[in-house]
Amino acid sequence: MTAAPRRGRLAASPLLPMLAVLVVAILLYLPLMLWANVGPASRALASGADLGCPTAIACATQLRNPVLPAPGQLVQGFRSLSVPPTAPTSAPYNAVVTGGETLLGLVLATGLGLILAALLVLSRSFERATLPWLVASQTVPIVAIAPMLAVLLGQYGVQGFVPKALIAAYIAFFPVAVGMSRGLRSPDALQLDLMRTYSASPGRVFFQLRLPASLPYLFTALKVAVTAALVGSIVAEISTISFSGLGKMLAENSRASDTIALWVIMGYGAALGVALVALVGLLERVVTPWRAGR
Amino acid sequence: MRRPGLGAALPLALSTLGLLGLAVALSRQGAAPGRPLPWLLGVLALLLLGVLGIHSAARGEGRAARVLPAAFTLLLTVLGVEVLLRAYGVPAGLIPTPSRVLTALWEARTVLLLDTFYTFVLEALLGFLAGTVLGLALALLVVRFRFLERGALPYAALFSSVPIVALAPVVVKALGLEWPSKAVVVAITVLFPVVVNAVRGLQAAQPLHLDLLHTYAASPAQTFRNVRVPTALPFVFNALKVGSTLALISAIVAEFFGTNGHGLGFRIQIEVGRFNLAVVWAAIVLASVVGLAFFGLISVLERRFAPVSQNS
Repeated sequence: MTAAPRRGRLAASPLLPMLAVLVVAILLYLPLMLWANVGPASRALASGADLGCPTAIACATQLRNPVLPAPGQLVQGFRSLSVPPTAPTSAPYNAVVTGGETLLGLVLATGLGLILAALLVLSRSFERATLPWLVASQTVPIVAIAPMLAVLLGQYGVQGFVPKALIAAYIAFFPVAVGMSRGLRSPDALQLDLMRTYSASPGRVFFQLRLPASLPYLFTALKVAVTAALVGSIVAEISTISFSGLGKMLAENSRASDTIALWVIMGYGAALGVALVALVGLLERVVTPWRAGR
Repeated sequence: MRRPGLGAALPLALSTLGLLGLAVALSRQGAAPGRPLPWLLGVLALLLLGVLGIHSAARGEGRAARVLPAAFTLLLTVLGVEVLLRAYGVPAGLIPTPSRVLTALWEARTVLLLDTFYTFVLEALLGFLAGTVLGLALALLVVRFRFLERGALPYAALFSSVPIVALAPVVVKALGLEWPSKAVVVAITVLFPVVVNAVRGLQAAQPLHLDLLHTYAASPAQTFRNVRVPTALPFVFNALKVGSTLALISAIVAEFFGTNGHGLGFRIQIEVGRFNLAVVWAAIVLASVVGLAFFGLISVLERRFAPVSQNS
C-alpha cells in the first residue's frame, strides 16, 4: 500500500524524474481541461448567458463551476480558502480538526486492534468464532453506520469530537488487528524454544518476545490504518451533524456545486493523508531505532 | 482428529433455544416489560453457555470445527440483540430489532436487489476490473522503464495515502450523476494499491532464479512468464483483496455525492433521513453479504492461482 520506493540499487535521487513526470502531467492536463470545459462553455454561450468572455475557448478557463478547473482558478481558490489560516471557514483550520479526530481515532483503533490481536493469537476458539466477522465488518459501509452511531451516542451525551474519532477507529481497527496478529506470530520456533528452555511464563513470552517482534508489523499496519482512519473521520463529518472538518466543507461545497473549492479541499485532504503517514513513519523511527538504517 | 460431539452440541442447542424462547415470549407480550433486569441476566447466562459451547466446538480440525463457531457466534449475537432490544423497549427509529430488519429485507427486496445491481455490478465490479487492468499495465510499464520507476512510482505511493472520499465529489461533479462516475472513483481507489504491490512483486524475483534462467539462455519473455509473474502473483492478490473491500465502500461513499436514484448508498442516505432504519440495516446487510462474497471469490482465485504457504 504505502511502500517506500526501492532505494539502494541506484543512488540517484528520484527528484529529477519526479519533476519531469509532474511537468508531463501538467502539460497533459491543460488540453484535457480545455476540452472538458469548452462543451459547457459553448452551451452556456448558445443559451445566451453573459459569461463576460467572447468565445467558448476563452471562457473555458473562467467558468464559475468548471468541469476541470484551470490552474489560475485553482491558485485563486487555494488563496481564498487558506487565508486567514485560523478562521473557522478556512481549509487549514478544518484540516487540523480532521487530523485531530483521525489521530484520536487511530489511538483508539490501536488499543482495540492490540487487544483483538492478542486474543486472536492466544485463543484459537476466539479466532474461529470471530475472524470471519471481523473480515465482514470491513465490508459494512461506514457511511451508513456513521449517522446512526452519532444519533446513538448523542442519546448518551457523547457529542462533537468523540463520535467522529469512534467512527475513524471503527474503520481503522481491522488493519491493526491483522497486522498485529501476524506480528505476534512472527517469532520462529527457535526463539520460542529458547524461551521455553528459560522456563519463561506465557506472560513473559508475550511481553518480552512476541510484543517486540510485532513492532515492525504494527507500524506497517498503522500506515494503512491512518489512511483508513482519515477516510473514516471525513465520512463521519459528512454524514453526521458537524460544524468543522474537511468532510463538512466537502459536503457543503458539493451541495453548492463549488467545483474549485472541492479541488482545493481534495488537495488539503491529500496533504493531510501524506502528513499523517509521514508522522507514523517518524514515530516508527523513534520507537524502533534499530530498524532505522533500512 | 476429534470431532465436536455432544459436548458442544448440548450447550449450543440449549443456548439457541433459550434465547429463541425469550424472544418469542417478549413478542407475545407486545409491550416492553417493566423491569428489564431479569431479562438481561437471562440473556447473559444463555450467552455464557453459548460461549462455552463455541469454545468446545472450536476444538479439533474438521470442517465443523471451522464453520460452527463462526455461525453460532452470529446466530447467538443476533438472538441476544433481539431479546435485549425488546426487553429494553428501544424505539425502532434508534435501533431496529433484527427481526424487523429481516422483514424489511424481504418486503423491499425488489428495490434493494436493483440497488445492489447498480452498486455492486455496475459500479464496484466494473470499476474494480478497470482499476486492476490499468494498474497492472502501469506496473508493467514502471518495471520496464527505470525512469518511470523513479519518477512515477513515488506518486503512486503518495496517492495511496489520499483519502478517497475527498476524491469522490470532484469526480462525480466532473463526470455526472450516472453510474460511470462512481465506477471511475472505484477504479482510482483500486488502482494505486495494485500498482504499488504489483511493482513490488515483479521486483521480488530472486537473483538466483534469474541467474539460473540466464544460464538456460532463456529469453526475457520466458524469464518473465516463468519467474517474475509467479513471484508477483501473491503480491497482486494481496492488493486485490484490499481492493475488493475498498471497492464497495468507495462506490457507496461516491453515491453519497449524487446519483440518478439508484444504488445502496443512495437508498441508505434517503432512508436515514426518513428514520426508516430497518431498510437502512437491510441495505447494510445486503452490502456486507455481497462484499464478503466478493472477498471470498478473490480468496478462492488466490488459492487456485497463487497458493501461499501458511505463515506468509
